[in-house]
Amino acid sequence: MGGQVSKMMGKIFGTKEMRILMLGLDAAGKTTILYKLKLSNQDVTTIPTVGFNVESVTYKNVKFNVWDVGGQDKIRPLWRHYYSGTQGLIFVVDSSDTARLEEARSELHKIINDREMKDALLLVFANKQDTPGHLSPEDITNELQLTKLKDKLWYVAPSVATDGTGIFEGLAWLSNNVKTPPQK
Amino acid sequence: MATTLPYRPSNDSLSASHNPKTNGLPRLSPATSFVGRSPSTSHASGQRISAENAGLKPRRCKSQYPLDSPERHVEYILVASFHIDRGPIMEHQYPAPISGDESMLAELMLPDQTHVRSQDWTIFFLHKDTSGEDDDESTGGNKKKKRKSQRYHGNEEGAHIQHENIDEASDDEDDSEDEEGGEGPPLMYVLNLVNTKQDNTVRRGAVVKAMAICTRHSFLHIYKPLLLLALEDYFKSPFPETLASLYDAVNNMDLSLMPKLSILERHILQSSNTKEMFIEKFEQMIHQREDEETQNEDYPPSPKKASRYVLPRDTHEFESKVVYNDIPIPVKIPTVIWPETVGDFSLIKLIQTFAAPHAASPQAFPVHPHLTTSGPFTHPIIVLVNAILTQKRVVFLGHNRPSGEVAEAVLAACALASGGILRGFTRHAFPYTDLTKIDDLLKVPGFIAGVTNPTFANHPEWWDILCDLPTGRMKISSHVEPAPVTEGLLFFQQQSSLLLNHPSQANSDPTGDNLFMEDILRSISNRHGENAIRAKWRAYITKFTRVAAAFEETVYGASNLYIIGPGEELSPDSPTGQQADSSDPTTLRGHGYVWPDEAAKQRELSASVSRIEGWRNTRSYYSYIQDIAAMYFPARPIQRPDLHHHHDRLRSLKLSHPDAAAIYLALSHAVKDYAGICQLLTVAPENQAGLFYLSMGLFHPDQVVREATVELLDRIAAHPAGRHFWSHLGRFAKLGYFRVKRDRDAAAQSPISGPGSPNSSPPTSTTPGASFGGEPQSLVGVALGDGLSRRS
Repeated sequence: MGGQVSKMMGKIFGTKEMRILMLGLDAAGKTTILYKLKLSNQDVTTIPTVGFNVESVTYKNVKFNVWDVGGQDKIRPLWRHYYSGTQGLIFVVDSSDTARLEEARSELHKIINDREMKDALLLVFANKQDTPGHLSPEDITNELQLTKLKDKLWYVAPSVATDGTGIFEGLAWLSNNVKTPPQK
Repeated sequence: MATTLPYRPSNDSLSASHNPKTNGLPRLSPATSFVGRSPSTSHASGQRISAENAGLKPRRCKSQYPLDSPERHVEYILVASFHIDRGPIMEHQYPAPISGDESMLAELMLPDQTHVRSQDWTIFFLHKDTSGEDDDESTGGNKKKKRKSQRYHGNEEGAHIQHENIDEASDDEDDSEDEEGGEGPPLMYVLNLVNTKQDNTVRRGAVVKAMAICTRHSFLHIYKPLLLLALEDYFKSPFPETLASLYDAVNNMDLSLMPKLSILERHILQSSNTKEMFIEKFEQMIHQREDEETQNEDYPPSPKKASRYVLPRDTHEFESKVVYNDIPIPVKIPTVIWPETVGDFSLIKLIQTFAAPHAASPQAFPVHPHLTTSGPFTHPIIVLVNAILTQKRVVFLGHNRPSGEVAEAVLAACALASGGILRGFTRHAFPYTDLTKIDDLLKVPGFIAGVTNPTFANHPEWWDILCDLPTGRMKISSHVEPAPVTEGLLFFQQQSSLLLNHPSQANSDPTGDNLFMEDILRSISNRHGENAIRAKWRAYITKFTRVAAAFEETVYGASNLYIIGPGEELSPDSPTGQQADSSDPTTLRGHGYVWPDEAAKQRELSASVSRIEGWRNTRSYYSYIQDIAAMYFPARPIQRPDLHHHHDRLRSLKLSHPDAAAIYLALSHAVKDYAGICQLLTVAPENQAGLFYLSMGLFHPDQVVREATVELLDRIAAHPAGRHFWSHLGRFAKLGYFRVKRDRDAAAQSPISGPGSPNSSPPTSTTPGASFGGEPQSLVGVALGDGLSRRS
């Protein structure tokens, strides 16, 4: 139904826009997801992001402006500069990197507790589902303590960024749930 | 009778004090076939004059970069890399760790999105020994630079200036321009090259490394080829030795034969297109070097030496080389570097970037008195200059552009607003910065910053003006501070209410900015070149400061921006063009900018009031006041009369004969020595018709004026820089010159007037017919003069 509405909106107002911020620890797969969205049928090889990437992806009549910001711990304090005006947060987790899930949880809660992010949707990609020893989306949900969140619309999508599995499903969830018009 | 002639004393003092002129005279005076033997058409004669000049000068020509200077061309070499777990880190620093925040440096060296391109250049500045925000309020006149004490004192100006402070100030100004008096230690300029190499053998598939050169020289772009080679070497051998060999190579660069020029000489060279301007100084440097070598060394002077040092093909640049790993790399160093000119930016590129979209479809700006000085459709380049002049926060955004491109735009913008005259912009410029520095950046009141991260566009609270390079559009922030109401504003509001009653005031371009921008764009499309555009901006900023001085005098009764010469009166209604002392032509009154009439002045002042008032509390305003005081003697050897003012009157006003006569006489009496002629040449640049307006004195009805003009032109033609100006003078003026000379020589030979008083026509005569002796006599004189010169 939400898809119907967004199509209607699209017909009336043209394509709507949504500003998405994609964060996560380093080497979680953020840039791969971004370029898999952008260039769906190509193989993507990435190198560490120095600073950020930003790309526009149109999917189901929604133009997603996706910001992908480098994840090394030293540059994480910069994330907050990208918050204002963000309607959706994509948080990418390496499901096989169990040792750093606690670190991921703490970073995620820091982000979504920020005042500027209180209205943003939260999409978690439980990425690298193809790696041996990975956790399931449910395990990720628990590890990240998402059930504790109140007044927050969130969704955990399993994904394999390198072959594109699960990525557009995640995006569909975002486009179906976005309600506020983009803040300019 | 002859003693009352106004120019007699000058003649005496001239021959006594100015040797080159007397030496030059035989060659210049009676020319039998006039055009062919003009003093400058033959290059050889010009050279001879210059050689004599040089010979007469007891002073040694100093080097801008002496061999024995303790200063190094390059102070540090740094290497940083992007660590895949830790982000940017510093790998090596040579010869020692540079003080300051290492991780901040590493972040600057690895610009955002460097992973998407294989190579990127950046420039940034370091405030060494001081942090960015400490020098915000830089009004204190602290001249306690350690550099200064290492420098020699007593330069050219020192010869005739007793005042110690002035000498120091002039020395200061003669030093390289990165030394900004009163603004703390000189900036450290950093040129940085970053390479990203895909490498499957390493984790996550790429290596990102950056190498930077830290120098106090603002011509840091000359090091680009060296960084390319050295960074390539560093990928192969990532050890401090690679840094050391680059460090040694660049510091062995020999610039010691580049002569040091005074402020006026630099001014002349910069505004001239003549490739041999001041070549004498380069010659002298070589002679001095050769003399030293013959003294110090055993082998006798050989012809081989002549080929060892070559004169520059164009004196605007000095050619040298850096030998890196046995590869000689040619470098060209600009002879003249103005303040606020860093790197190799292009004003043309900056102007075109923002002018083209404006021309295609102008967008209305929200009106702000400081910025939109010609209404909502003010040209964006004017908005930019206004923003910088009034110390706004300016951000250049180049998303998906190399960071080198935003850095160039920032440097160009600094130069645009400075014009080489105002300063304090580069010191608060951040040619490339990123989010990591945002908190520090926001503490700086008024900055010019370059960024590539489009998130800046989403934060209008961070900037007053956002200049988007990819689209060529400028935005005025909704958060910009409104302009305060000031005394000057109120003053002109009252005035303008009176002015508006005049129906003739329907002027659509009261600031003249629209005309100016049209002229600039025409120059660009006619391919006049970067130098021509820079000269025009220099003139624009000069005019701005002069208009501001007139504004202050009008509103506040006195100006900080102009030092009143001796005998000059401040009051705005002082009788311009009158002599305070009737026996001394140099006491001609009047100063400052020249308007055709009072209404035009009021119109322009009231149109500029906001931006001038906006400028009056800024760093560049206070620095300019300091500069004026420091430069008073070095840049104005002739304090009386105001050469610029009176030359402007000749140029832009339709003067009566007596008024013009007073100016020609004053100039001829005041402008005698080397520095004085330099000063006169700076107000008559080649691109503004050069000596043309002065030469019009050759056609003045009064013979005294004509001959005074001849004397002045003689002196200019014998001057090392003036001779180029003379050779550019049109044939018409030269014909006039030789006619007056013939007349004078004829009179000198005529039995009627004695040889001691060749020009006994009374100064009151205003027409050739009325002048004593008149035309018939000069015809006789021509014949006589010719005969004499042939005999001699």
